This record gives sequence, C-alpha cells and structure tokens, in this order.
Amino acid sequence: MSSFEQKYNDGIVKGFLISALVWGIASMLVGVWIAFQMVYPELNIGPYFTFGRLRPLHTNAAIFGFALSIIFATGYHTVQRLCRVRIWSDKLANLHLALYNLSIILAAITLPLGLSQSKEYAELEWPLDLLIVIWFVIFIVNYFGTIFTREEKQLYVAIWFYIASWVTIPILFIVNNLSIPVSWIKSYSVYAGVYDANIQWWYGHNAVAFVLTTPFLGLMYYYLPKHIKQPIYSHRLSIIHFWSLIFIYIWAGPHHLLYSPLPDWLQTTGMVFSIMLWMPSWGGMLNGFLTLTQAKEKIKTDATLKMILVGITFYGMSTFEGPLLSIRSVSGLGHNTDWIIGHVHGGTLGWVGMMSFAAIYYLVPRIWNTNLYSEKLANFHFWVATLGILLYIVSMWVSGITEGSMWRAIDSTGALKYPNWVQITETLKPYRLFRGIGGGLYFIGLLTMIYNVIRTIRTSGNGFKEIDLRVGLKEAKA
Amino acid sequence: MNWFDKLLDWFSGFTEQWEKHGVKFTAYTTVAVLIGGIFELIPPFFLTKTAEPIAGTRPYNALELAGRDIYQREGCNNCHTQMVRPFKWEVDRFDPQHSYGKDGYSKAGEFVYDHPFLWGSKRTGPDLAHESQIQPSAEWHRTHLINPRDTAKGSIMPSYPWLFEESSSLDAKEIAAHMKGLRKIGVPYTDEDIASVASLTTGKTEGDALIAYLLKLGKDTAELSKNLQ
Repeated sequence: MSSFEQKYNDGIVKGFLISALVWGIASMLVGVWIAFQMVYPELNIGPYFTFGRLRPLHTNAAIFGFALSIIFATGYHTVQRLCRVRIWSDKLANLHLALYNLSIILAAITLPLGLSQSKEYAELEWPLDLLIVIWFVIFIVNYFGTIFTREEKQLYVAIWFYIASWVTIPILFIVNNLSIPVSWIKSYSVYAGVYDANIQWWYGHNAVAFVLTTPFLGLMYYYLPKHIKQPIYSHRLSIIHFWSLIFIYIWAGPHHLLYSPLPDWLQTTGMVFSIMLWMPSWGGMLNGFLTLTQAKEKIKTDATLKMILVGITFYGMSTFEGPLLSIRSVSGLGHNTDWIIGHVHGGTLGWVGMMSFAAIYYLVPRIWNTNLYSEKLANFHFWVATLGILLYIVSMWVSGITEGSMWRAIDSTGALKYPNWVQITETLKPYRLFRGIGGGLYFIGLLTMIYNVIRTIRTSGNGFKEIDLRVGLKEAKA
Repeated sequence: MNWFDKLLDWFSGFTEQWEKHGVKFTAYTTVAVLIGGIFELIPPFFLTKTAEPIAGTRPYNALELAGRDIYQREGCNNCHTQMVRPFKWEVDRFDPQHSYGKDGYSKAGEFVYDHPFLWGSKRTGPDLAHESQIQPSAEWHRTHLINPRDTAKGSIMPSYPWLFEESSSLDAKEIAAHMKGLRKIGVPYTDEDIASVASLTTGKTEGDALIAYLLKLGKDTAELSKNLQ
C-alpha cells in the first residue's frame, strides 16, 4: 500500500471527496427547504431566502458543488490508475481544488444576494464565470498532461467519457455565458430573445449530457468492473454507444423549446435527435446491467452494488422518459409542469446520486486505508434513499400530469374548466408535500452516509481488507 | 445482420486506433460534439424571422428596464413563464380579452430586445407574457407583491414587501450604465432615452419599477393588434 501512496496522489481525491460531502449537504438541505416552500409559503424568508433566489442555489450547489466534486474525485483517482502514472502536477491539482471551492463558496454567497444572470444552470455573474474558466483550464492542463505522460498505451473506455466531458463543458460554458458586463455584479447576455433561448437550452441540455451523464458513465465503466472483479460485458458496445452518444446528445437541446417561437425545423431536429438518443443511452445502460449480471448473487449483500444497480435502473428510466417527453404531443402536456421536475430528479437523485454514493463507499475505505465503519448503515442509506426517490418521482408524476390536465381542461361550452389558478395550486398541494417528504428521506440517507464516512476516516490507516460479504454471511450462518 | 457486424468492424477499426493516441482521440471527440452545435446555433442568426422586431415593439424604458433587473434578481422566472404556446387552452387562459387578435400566442419578434430571454421553464404561477392586458391595475400588483395572499387566497408566492420600502429606491446612475451596456450589444437606445433615466426613476422604488415592467409585458403587441383591428 505504501508504494501505491508514493506512486499516486490520493490527497487530491480526498480533497474532492470531502468537498462533495460538504456541497452535498448544502444542496440537499436547500432542496428540501424549497420543496416545502412550495407548500408553506411562509418558509420564504425575504429578501435572501425566497424560492426565486434559493432555487438557483440548490441547482448550482447540486450540479457544480456535489456532482462536479464527485466527478473530479473520481477523475483524478481513475486517470492515475488507468495511465499508471501520478497526476502530472500536484501543485496544479491543489490549486484546482482551492479555486474550485472558492468559486462554489462565492456562488453560495452571491446567489442568495440576488446576483444572477437568470439563465438556468448559468446564473453566476461574470466574475465568477471567469474564475470557473481559470480553474477549469488548470484542471484540463493537468489531466491531459497526465494522459500524455502515461505508461499505459491503451486509453480505457472510462477515460473516453471523461475526455468527452472536459472537451465539451468549456465549449458549452463559454458560448452560453458570453455577456457584456455593466458593473462588477451585473451583466447582460450578448444574445437576445429566441437566439438566447436556443443557446441557453443547447447549454442546459448538454450540462445534463456532459456533466451529469458522461462523467458518471466513465465512473461506472471503472468502478463497476473493479468492484465485481469482472471485465465490462462488451467492449464493442462501449465503442458504439460512446461515439453515438456524444455525437447525438449535442443536438437534443431544442426539445426544451417545443411550441415556442423557435424555428420549426430546429424544434423538429431537436425532437428527432432526442428520440434517437434513446438507443446510445440504453447501450450504456445495457452494458452496465450485463456486467452486473456477472456478479448477480453479490448484489444481495453489497450496498455499493445495490446502489449501482438502482443507479443504472434510473439511468435507463430517465433516458426513456426524456425522449418520450421530447415528443411534441407529450411535451404539450408535460412542459412547464412538475412532471419535468420529477424527470430531472429521477436522473439526479437516481442516477447521479446513487452512482456518487457508490463511488464514495468504494473510495473512502481504500483511500483512507481502512474498512467501512458500518455496512448496516450503508444498507440503511440505500433503502431510505431508494424510498425517497420513489416518493419524490411518483408524487411529481401525479402532480405534473394533474397540473397539465387541469390547464387544458375545457367544458362543453369550450370555456376553461379551471380558470382560477389557485384552485390548481391547491389541488397539487398534497403531492408537493409528498415530494418534500421524499426529498427529506433522501437527505437523511445522505446524513447517514456522512456519519458513516466520518467514523470510517477516524480509523484511517488500519489497513484496507477486501471482504466478500457473501463469505462473511455464510460463515455467520455456519 | 452480417452487414451490421461488418459496419461495426469497419467503425471500430478506426476508433481502436484512436484509443492509443490521446491527441487524435481528443480531436475526433471535439469534432463529434461540434457538428451538432454548429448546425443548430449558427443558422438561426441569419434567419430574419427570428431577428426582426414586430412593428411597434420598442425597448424597455429606464423604469421598465430597472424592473426587469429586479425580476431577474428575484428569480421570478423560476416560477413564471413568459411564453404562450399556440394551444387554444393556453391562449384562452393568457389572452382572455383577445387583445392579440386571432392568435394570442408568443411570436419571435416580441423578444428581440430581451437580453437575456426570460421565458422560464416552470409554470408554478401563471404565465406573464400578456400581464399588461390580464391585470392592468398597478394598485392590484402592489397589493399582490406585498402579500400575494391578499389578492389570491391560497397563493404560494413569496411576499416582497421590502421592494416598496424607502431603502429600495432606484439608483439612476446604475440604470443609465445598464442602458449604455445594452446599447453596445444592439438595443437601439437613443441619447434621449438615457437622458430620461432621472426623470423616470426619481422617487421610485424597486417595487414601482417591477410593476412598470409587468405592465409593459405584452403591451406593444396588444396596441399593434388594436390598431390593426
């Protein structure tokens, strides 16, 4: 183990894992809070903690705080192993960690202050955008520096997905965030109206693609085979679904703007490519599932594997629901409703969240060279989180379809059946309450994991032993 | 399926070579992601339909612009859309007086001065694209913003009483700077527009500005439609 410690820089992995836990708490706490604001408006504490200001804080902390921390932790961990070299520069890695966390701290301060460009998932004002560009460039130099000094010739599939993310995220981020500053705290997008909408949703949809999908597929392709000690099911499937996924995903943005004044050909292109996207997405899902089946009896006892199983299941479900929602007629009902919120959270809580937790449970004992404090608590985390996701999604499905149906309901004279908006709001109340409870359960799961991780880190250096839990169980029975 | 296997062989023959060359692999990945983006982002810039203002559409005046900034700051777009889709039930709901002629849905030319666009993606509250015609009373908006429950029992909107406090008075210099910035990226503000900032905003609060913005929404198109009729 000590020779490994010298060879690889695991300090940077530790740094990003801890960042993930901190920003995980922040994002999910705010998430639960704003969920209940949708039922109890008195929970809006103005001016800093109203829904309008906290919602961007929730999404930014979740995507750029929690998910990106996991992505960088696993990115640094896997690239060193897959290239068989230490990260190119330790100093750049530390600078990346420091500047990254500085930018998220500043985001957490400026968003409640109301400093916002108001473009979804790109709310941060221009000085923070510049800071983000700086640390991203630092990171990319370091990552590619590692790849170009590698000792392993073949680039493994996990690295492809990470590379695709590092290439695409800056393109999306820079093009969408171009704005003219009018003061230190205010800027206006250089694009206007329909152009701005088109570019925003090209960015917004591909944030889902290249932040919340491809790096997590990379994560799956490394940690799943490592954990079950079996190779990935099909290398050829990996090739096909990687290239088709990254090529097709980028076209799908306009499905966010169906029935808008966006040119029709553009809306249709977005819709067609969204439906095509189903195939490469399920290619990834199937490769994961078929790999998992090689160790299916292990799933019963291993919380980490259960999380990967549920994560891949939700990936399959969300990538089926997405193309469905991008069909014009379905979008007509679902767009602007709670259904979309449910869809997004199926992807984020189910796929991104569960894969992240799996990576944390895999990494923490190995990186801190000890054993997990409690498998039982990990198992509790799995069940409470799964229950939370189901409550969340099912209530949002019901709420969204009810909402969309009530908007369009017309009586026999052709007049609106529910002209009074508040009547609709009141009808949705119970579902929104259940959403809050589901989110709360998921948050309890996260806190359980953090307790487990803290107790584990306290025993750091005790020596990591890989235990096959099945064998442990058999011994206990005998 | 023999042809399919052959196709896969042919394709993976290339990619397997790239997998050993970091630079090549990265370059081809970049090409793959750029194609769709270029195809979708560039052509709309040259389509006049998405670029030309509808006759009568004018930029926001100083007070309305200040209100738009408040709208963005408070994140109103997280719960209110500003884009009416071409459905009967949507037009009926958000154009009850038929102020916009036969087709009261949103047109590209209405948004040409919107930096950034504020269509939103979630309709927790009603759409506001035609708010000037749906609720033209400034007094109603004031009561509603101070406590939404006073005008709509059961509303889940946050209250914004501080927008009308004295500490929330507008800063004319700041608004002038914002207008000059927007002029640089193509909003046709004249020198007179910028000179009128002080007279329009003195003694006004952020709440007044927000109401002025809400009462501008849909106003130009509704007036155009009236003239045509």
